[in-house]
Amino acid sequence: MTDNHPFGSGMFQGQAKFVDYAHMNQQEVQVNTLDEPVLDTLLRDINMILYKLSYVIIPRMKETQGRKLRNWDLWGPLLLSLLLAMTLGINSNQSSDTIFGTIFIIMWGGSAVITVNAKLLGGQVSFFQSVCVLGYCVFPINVAAVVITFLQSYFGFFLRLIIVGVAFLWSTFSSLSFMSSMMNEEKKVISVYPIFLFYMFLSWFCIFI
Amino acid sequence: MQNFGSNNDLDEKGHVMTDQPKIKVKFEPKPKPSTCPICTVEYYQQFFDIEQRDVYMRIRCSLLSWKPEFYQCVGKNPDLWGPLWISTTIIFILFAGGNLSRFLLEEDKRHFKYEYNYMYVAVLIVYAMAFIIPIILGVIMKYILKSELGVFEIVCMYGYSLSVYMFVLVLCIIPYNEAQWFFLMCGLANSTIFLLVNLWDFMKKNKQTTLIAVPIISFNLALILCFKFYFFRLIYAVDD
Repeated sequence: MTDNHPFGSGMFQGQAKFVDYAHMNQQEVQVNTLDEPVLDTLLRDINMILYKLSYVIIPRMKETQGRKLRNWDLWGPLLLSLLLAMTLGINSNQSSDTIFGTIFIIMWGGSAVITVNAKLLGGQVSFFQSVCVLGYCVFPINVAAVVITFLQSYFGFFLRLIIVGVAFLWSTFSSLSFMSSMMNEEKKVISVYPIFLFYMFLSWFCIFI
Repeated sequence: MQNFGSNNDLDEKGHVMTDQPKIKVKFEPKPKPSTCPICTVEYYQQFFDIEQRDVYMRIRCSLLSWKPEFYQCVGKNPDLWGPLWISTTIIFILFAGGNLSRFLLEEDKRHFKYEYNYMYVAVLIVYAMAFIIPIILGVIMKYILKSELGVFEIVCMYGYSLSVYMFVLVLCIIPYNEAQWFFLMCGLANSTIFLLVNLWDFMKKNKQTTLIAVPIISFNLALILCFKFYFFRLIYAVDD
């Protein structure tokens, strides 16, 4: 039943209980969600984002769990990248627009490059699914940036380094289970190394706010 | 409403499992028309046909630069993974390490101004050194000097020659003048020796030693001067 499936497409929730994907045609699907109130749509999407975030918060090393993130969406990564870019932009004492643009480009460009790298190395990875996972796994770095912003005066340099370090390791482990399940044994390190570099790049911006 | 399927869970391939007899429809990807072979992922996969063990061996070959073993390491299989990600790592180290070095020297740490230009300059210098210069050199060698080495092998060699800088630049974060010059000179020596040793056979055969050796040495020297005078220029001032 789609109601129980953790990442079942939100479009079918609230519909008739037994839904058969194979026999429902596109026309029926579209009409169902157009009639509902806007708040319902928003709440459903927000729930979907929060549900996926819960899979990121608890890094799972077992590869089967990583496959739950198969239903990709780009809302979550967009919100997270905007939040990170704004947090770092507000805090930098010069050129906030440069830093905003830089973070945005690094995040989306970096995700794209990592995905293309994995595909070129022969991985069975879908482009948007991978971009989605990498985007969601930026969440711990976001948390670190926000925490450092609000408690700026209480933190010395070393404490900041520790907080950002923990966030970086958390992000990397979260995305590891997904990415390494897509690659051959002999190519895991060379496909995971760019992810490590990517999160290190983003974390580095948080240290010197 | 008739229950079309008692089990609406997805099986491992993502198909809905129903009680009806399964009619397997296999979707074969349509073979792409060969109008644009460069546009497909498969064309570029030949440049990334490498495993992590190969990458370790090639980096090890480049660090032990006095042994002309690079061709045995590479075989018939030069790759682009190494040049791309080694140069990206160096860009990150320049950006992060350069700013960290300045931060360590700053007395008033609360008003430290982050230098974002380091990233743009680093991207320009390092990607030029890793890709543009070897492409030019490779084209000259292949089409004018008629070498059997392709452009691609030269790009691969140049990319791996930069691998020593990954370690050298981390050490250059220490803000002491003599230390930085020492490490950069070690890096320069290693990188230049690696390139010259592996191109030696070609140079001797064609008697074009100076034409190839001089640009290699001068570009490498220019690179470390850029590193020293732009990214790591601040040092502890010595009171006379």
